[in-house]
Amino acid sequence: MSGIEAVRKIVETEGQAKRIVEEAQLRAEEILARASEEAQKVRQTSTSEAEQRKVQMLRITREKAEADARSSDVETDSLLENYKKLFEDRKDVAAKKAVELVLGG
Amino acid sequence: MAESLEKLHNRILSDARLKAAGIVEQGEEKSKQILEESRAQAQREANDILSRASLEAESIRRSILSSRIRANRLRILEEKNKIVQSVLKSVEQRLSDIARTDQFESTLKRLALEAVEAVGTDNAVVKVGFRNTEKKSLQSLGQVLPKGTKFLAVEIAIDELGGVIASDPEGKMSFNNSFKARIERLDNQLLTTISSNIFGE
Repeated sequence: MSGIEAVRKIVETEGQAKRIVEEAQLRAEEILARASEEAQKVRQTSTSEAEQRKVQMLRITREKAEADARSSDVETDSLLENYKKLFEDRKDVAAKKAVELVLGG
Repeated sequence: MAESLEKLHNRILSDARLKAAGIVEQGEEKSKQILEESRAQAQREANDILSRASLEAESIRRSILSSRIRANRLRILEEKNKIVQSVLKSVEQRLSDIARTDQFESTLKRLALEAVEAVGTDNAVVKVGFRNTEKKSLQSLGQVLPKGTKFLAVEIAIDELGGVIASDPEGKMSFNNSFKARIERLDNQLLTTISSNIFGE
């Protein structure tokens, strides 16, 4: 093999080696690009799920608070009804005691 | 020479493959790291959203409940007040009709003596006025009042409900012992008495 042929062979080999490295770099870049894409999806999915849970949490809270408020209304209605009965049953005694207080106080 | 050239060829390619493998491995490592960081960041963001949602939910709950509970407390207070005022009206009615009862004479004496004592003079002027009073029922009062006391019966009920007002002869000092004045003086006690009898509080 002549010297020129040997040099040509080495140049060819260097070119092949360069291509191997460049392909590896391209592959690494693809891997990173896919990873970034997947990372973006992970964040979007997570945020979307959290937003959905938030909407659900607020809906449940609102419904429960409304139910508690209605329960408070019912309890108050019952209390007011009871006051009316107490008033009917005890108004004479209360007035009598109050009159006694005014007369004797 | 051909042999050593072949070795160099193999060496160059081997180095290149090694370097390529390193590059890919680094890429994979970096990719793994990006995903881990992304997952952690996503978790933090989700936690943040849910944490703010919890605060918002509590605020919504309070806003709905507190306004309704406040309104209901107000309804209860209004009803109680209405009941107490109704009983007070009844008390005023009973007091203004006292002249028709057998309690009248003793009450009149007590009110008059208290008023005279409060004025603290020997020649007090005692003004008496009740609704539906007959003069004869007032006459007995003159006998129990201290000597020197001037007794004056008016035809209208003093302060609307009736009662007694004592004063010194010059009218500089007086003590209002009308039912209205007594009710005002006993205001808190009356409310407590009525409340405790109606509501048991």
